[in-house]
Amino acid sequence: MRKAPSERIATDAIKAWQVLAIIFTVIPLLAAIALYVLAYFFEFSYWFAIGVTAFTILEGVISILIIPKLRWRRWRYQIYDQEIYIQHGILIVTRTIVPMIRVQHVDTQQGPILKKYKLASLTISTAATTHEIPALLEEEASALRDQISELARVEQDDV
Amino acid sequence: MSEAKRLHPVSVIFTTLQSLRQIIFGILPIAILAIGDGMFLYLSLGLVVILLLVIGFSVLTWMRYTYRVEEDQLRIEHGVFIRKKRTISKHRIQSIDLSQNIIHRVFGLTKVQIETAGSDHKIDAALHAVTMEEGKYLHDQLKYKKEAVTAESDNKEEKIHYPQRKVEVKELLIAGSTSASFGFIIGLVALGITELESFIPDSFYNQATSWVVNQAIEMLIFMALLFFILLWGLGILVTLIQYWNFTITRYEKELFITRGLLEKKQMTIPLKRIQAVGIKETILRQPLGFATVYVEIASGEVSKNADVKTLLFPLMRKKEINSFLEKILSEYVLPEDNFTPLPKRALPYYLFRAGVVPFIASIVVAFSAIDWIGIPLIATGLALILGYFQFKSTGYHLDGKQLVVQARLVNKDTTLLKHHRLQSFAVKAHFLHRYQQLASVDTAILSKLAGRHMIIKEMDAESASKLLEWYSYES
Repeated sequence: MRKAPSERIATDAIKAWQVLAIIFTVIPLLAAIALYVLAYFFEFSYWFAIGVTAFTILEGVISILIIPKLRWRRWRYQIYDQEIYIQHGILIVTRTIVPMIRVQHVDTQQGPILKKYKLASLTISTAATTHEIPALLEEEASALRDQISELARVEQDDV
Repeated sequence: MSEAKRLHPVSVIFTTLQSLRQIIFGILPIAILAIGDGMFLYLSLGLVVILLLVIGFSVLTWMRYTYRVEEDQLRIEHGVFIRKKRTISKHRIQSIDLSQNIIHRVFGLTKVQIETAGSDHKIDAALHAVTMEEGKYLHDQLKYKKEAVTAESDNKEEKIHYPQRKVEVKELLIAGSTSASFGFIIGLVALGITELESFIPDSFYNQATSWVVNQAIEMLIFMALLFFILLWGLGILVTLIQYWNFTITRYEKELFITRGLLEKKQMTIPLKRIQAVGIKETILRQPLGFATVYVEIASGEVSKNADVKTLLFPLMRKKEINSFLEKILSEYVLPEDNFTPLPKRALPYYLFRAGVVPFIASIVVAFSAIDWIGIPLIATGLALILGYFQFKSTGYHLDGKQLVVQARLVNKDTTLLKHHRLQSFAVKAHFLHRYQQLASVDTAILSKLAGRHMIIKEMDAESASKLLEWYSYES
């Protein structure tokens, strides 16, 4: 069995994912508050609101405290001269090989959250598939992008 | 050749017919209303004006549409209001098809269709009507490399030199009568006639049965049967017309296919563009020992009819495929039946995936309408049998640079893949898989719809990593 790839993604990825998870937790939280208010004015049982609150807390704990760390721990990648080797996934562990000669183009992307932590994501596209390395340091991402596009610049005889 | 050329004037007729077909649905309701109101005169006047406009526009379109071949490129300029120029590089052309419908054949013309790898149909070019000579000239000019001479120019020599295989009428008849739609019908009829009665619960019968209803049902079944037989005949006819005289010829660097009775079609597939070879055995054809051979090529055209894949051969005996490939496409080899099967511990996953939906349905029915429980139970049984056969069919065979994957959804599909055609390769395993030493393999090739994934689910983890090792460019 081949060894797992050697490089890890940036540690700040955990923080970025946590911020994202917090934003998504706000939605059920608002629903819970709305239910409390409605239950007060229309005098129906508070149990609905309590149920949603419990769900919000559970979802929050899992998605904010547990998942980002597990996800980070699993995420690994390695750039070889001829291929890119990626491992990710918490429940389903996926290990992918993308040969350099199949790479069509490489993108780096940065949303507001990633920007706050000076991170960027790297997307590698072949003619049939796309692969993403989610959170790298800005400089590292652009260096990798240039490195991959350099390595991928092999004469392609066909598609 | 550098001077710009126009299409044959007959293409005006094509454009006119096409635009008329497009606007007829818009006009029809207005026309019907107008006739009702007795405004027949105005209506016919309006129609004439519209017709004139359409014809004028078609003529303008034809005037503006020019093309020329320049070195390695085909340049097309067109558009009446918005003028467009398009350049297609010869090296990016996936295939060039010549086809002739009845109008074409009356005038001795041909349609030239040029496919590139893009996923957008509009990117491809189609010259609606050029003379046969011109079509062949273009075909020769734009071919990937100029080595091979086209068919018919020196027919006799080619027949000796280049391997060829022609479809037999018998094969076409079998293909038509076992086509997918027919399988569905057979199943329906068989179920309908023999089994339906026993599934209808007695209570329902007691309430609903009267002499009249009985008669009506019998009549309905008879009508349906007649309808199905008609459909079946039609299916055979369509197959015959489509694949009449299907001939495939292997030239040095390309495959050349001609087919069709009413509409003659020619197609050139450069060997370099072939991404994979597939062998499909539908559930009806497999017991008869017949299969279809097709290739995956990356082209923009997403055909309306899923049946019209890039066929290499519409139907042949499975035993014959080996020698057929050896003759026509010796780059690919179909292994004799020594596929590496899945480990036994993978079976529960296959049974579960196939059976879970009908099983849940059975439970629901059991609680809501226990009288009808037979139907979902039978469905569950069938699904489990299918799951078992999916498990049995799945396997792979590795030989040098070629990976052969065999899988079944309903129909058995064997795909011959070349190492350098695979776009990426992934091994996946969830926690149960890891505990059981299982893993799924997922690889993708370029295909008509951007990409096609080949997935072998739940294979032995060790074999999966061996395959990953095989794919790696580093080792």
